[in-house]
Amino acid sequence: MSTKHAEAAERFIENKEQESWHNETLWLVRVKRDNMAMAVPEWEELRELANKIKMHTITHLHKYIQQFAENAEANGVIVHWAKDAKEHNEIVYDILKKHNTKKLVKSKSMLTEECHMNPYLIEKGIDVVESDLGERIIQFMGVPPSHIVMPAIHIKREAVGKLFEEVLHTEKGNSDPTYLTRAARAHLRNEFLTADVGMTGANFGVAETGDVVVCTNEGNADMGTSIPKVHIVSMGIEKLVPNHKSLSVYTRLLARSATGQPVTSYTSHFRKPREGCEMHIVLVDNGRSEILSNPEHIQTLKCIRCAACMNTCPVYRRSGGYSYTYFIPGPIGINLGMLKFPERYYDNVSACSLCYSCNNVCPVKIDLADQIYRWRQNLDSLGKADKMKKLMSGGMKFLFTHPSIYYNTLKMAPAANIMPRFMIYNGLNEWGKGRELPRFSGESFTQMWKKGKVQRKNNK
Amino acid sequence: MKVGLFIPCYVNAIYPEIGVACYKLLDYLGVEVDYPVNQTCCGQPMANAGFEDEAIPLAKSFEKEFAEYEFVVVPSGSCGSFVKLNYPRLLSKEGRESHTSGKVYDFCEFLHDILKVDKLPAKFPHKVSVHNSCHGVRELHLSSASELNIPRYSKVKDLLSLVEGIEVMEPGKLDECCGFGGMFAVEEQAVSVCIGQDKIKNHMATGAEYITGADSSCLMHMQGIVEREKLPVKFIHVVQILAAGL
Amino acid sequence: MDNSKRDILENIKRHTSVQYDMPEIDIEGIQYPDKISQFILISKAVGGDAVELDPGQDVNEIIRALYPEAKRIASNLPDISVATFNPDDVSDPGGLNGTDLAIIQGEVGVAENGCVWIPQNVKQKVLYFITEYLVIILDKNNIVNNMHEAYEKISFNDKGFGVFISGPSKTADIEQALVVGAHGAKGVTVILK
Repeated sequence: MSTKHAEAAERFIENKEQESWHNETLWLVRVKRDNMAMAVPEWEELRELANKIKMHTITHLHKYIQQFAENAEANGVIVHWAKDAKEHNEIVYDILKKHNTKKLVKSKSMLTEECHMNPYLIEKGIDVVESDLGERIIQFMGVPPSHIVMPAIHIKREAVGKLFEEVLHTEKGNSDPTYLTRAARAHLRNEFLTADVGMTGANFGVAETGDVVVCTNEGNADMGTSIPKVHIVSMGIEKLVPNHKSLSVYTRLLARSATGQPVTSYTSHFRKPREGCEMHIVLVDNGRSEILSNPEHIQTLKCIRCAACMNTCPVYRRSGGYSYTYFIPGPIGINLGMLKFPERYYDNVSACSLCYSCNNVCPVKIDLADQIYRWRQNLDSLGKADKMKKLMSGGMKFLFTHPSIYYNTLKMAPAANIMPRFMIYNGLNEWGKGRELPRFSGESFTQMWKKGKVQRKNNK
Repeated sequence: MKVGLFIPCYVNAIYPEIGVACYKLLDYLGVEVDYPVNQTCCGQPMANAGFEDEAIPLAKSFEKEFAEYEFVVVPSGSCGSFVKLNYPRLLSKEGRESHTSGKVYDFCEFLHDILKVDKLPAKFPHKVSVHNSCHGVRELHLSSASELNIPRYSKVKDLLSLVEGIEVMEPGKLDECCGFGGMFAVEEQAVSVCIGQDKIKNHMATGAEYITGADSSCLMHMQGIVEREKLPVKFIHVVQILAAGL
Repeated sequence: MDNSKRDILENIKRHTSVQYDMPEIDIEGIQYPDKISQFILISKAVGGDAVELDPGQDVNEIIRALYPEAKRIASNLPDISVATFNPDDVSDPGGLNGTDLAIIQGEVGVAENGCVWIPQNVKQKVLYFITEYLVIILDKNNIVNNMHEAYEKISFNDKGFGVFISGPSKTADIEQALVVGAHGAKGVTVILK
């Protein structure tokens, strides 16, 4: 009874040094986040507001999305609507084709990742250049991100050094992060200067003004949109906030939750195309509107992709992003994967000890752990429930609903036949791999009580 | 005040001494304690594994067994929070109401909030590291969760401070999970054990002789690892410390 | 595409059931007894710097002292005499590559996070990002406590772009080791007048 996640996690943990580094490094990000949260007296009030504003916005999306599109269009922006990933990619490619694009320079976007846009465009002959340093590293390596904010967190500096020796001709054996970052700066500076089109995701869209807001630390989204003549924004329809007043709540929460900074270095507001240039916004549904009708999981639409849930997750930190089968890992990824394609991504539902820490760090108060609990309840109807687990649960129910049999078992049998039954039921004996089995005490509390061994003597 | 003692299935079988300590301490505090002998399991193991409907018959029988008591008190926060938070919804699936969810208390919570205990005869001249269990912290609010910007408190530490001679510590990563998680412990055994090993390391780094906590299931999981690895640290439930000498 | 717009809007409508009210955003954001010193403190914390101009002190002197090695110095501000060229004379944004130092005007500073609001006030906004080092001139009376106050105060012009800048460009993408100067400015100094 183990899932793909459990198996991949076991492989990750085999490299104890790497696992431990990954765990502790991400924990430090959690600590930085805590320091920021504790320094803002109104933190919990902010989270509650962020929750409520998003709940309002996504349940009035029909109004806000049109308001946003109208305002953007009035600002001279060309707005496109994409029902799904395929349409998104085609729209982007059409724009690129129209401008005879050879090189597209882009900043990090989980949405273009979701749409598998890069392989699609590369197939069509477009030179797609990721400009976030972490994204560029994994693009060179040909691997997907393992974290949504720190995409290359699983890669050690020596590996980056070696990679850059090959692709950027850096000095042999030099893996100093500053040296390597400078090399990437020089390399990407040239890419920015020679790109035909720049692309960004969107952290927020402001309905009242039509602004697209993009937050980065590196400034890569700004470089990529300040030189090429065309700017394409890829934006999920759930990214809206009503106005700047609402936006102020999220710009206070995002970076504090994500990296433990008071704000990102750049919070850019794109309202109009540059003079003589074009700006396009591609509004993407790709399953989002359907989530609106799902009361158990609608809250995922509040997500601002800060990854605080990953950094605090005791499972994510010790199993790494690649142990999950969906491209977004951690608590939010478990839920988004299930919403996307449950029959394909159900393996991730096991990756949760239900510790609820994710609920508490989430800046928009998504009920992440509760949702995972609920997915587990649905696995059986999907036919994806683990048979052994089901048998064990059924067996437990039988025993526990028949107290006389249960207590007889308790009286007669060794520990193996009673609780904790689920730990030792199967032949694999997963419990026993790293733990000793609990020992049956010889006499249960119930037996002691019945024999009057517990009660005070003058108490009948 | 009539209290029904809820002794979770695995505590019943493995740690009956915790139940005995519960009884002794409540009795000492002048509470009328009863133990309904037909109780079994609250249903959490099945529910967390994804079969919560199998917990409904257990919830029904739990409701019946504990109907007559003013309070239901349990030395395992996780089981208590399952009853408290999930029974109303589970029972509503069959058009029933839960009468126990509003009166179930973790043992420490009961002592702290209801009995408001401010004096105990207990002596325990040892250094202990308090294990802040996930469900105790984040569902029952036995202490302030480390993620939240709220005033710091710990009901467990408040109670332990009444014990003479004790030295109370807390581990690094104050309230990180121990990796138990019920069925999670076997389904994700590698991660579960890894989290547990780290947790024990953090507890042991305090120099404590004992790891103590309000949730027996976390203690059981960590004890399994400690015994496998033959580590020099012991386990004791908070109730056993509070009842020491009775 | 028109079909897609219609379909998406219809789907949104069809799938929306319970609707939630917009909350009153009447939160009192964090306040500082001395916004200027807090702004200076946080500017350093985010990897940048902020200095207060003494009465009568020439801003050009400070800039020269801070960046003695800068050769190509861009500014379109009239009283910046250390500037070697006006960036607005450069029509191609790529032509601003190689700028050692840019001196620009900020509108609103934020004490809680070191942000300075820059509504695009140069011809090519790339200047803010492509320059090796950046100096932002800010009226110290325009420092607000927090982002709520900031969003009340900021304005856009018809260029339709504005950015909050907080310290230099940075990255920690290699092993979480902080490196300043990823793509944008390697250093930012805010001069408070």
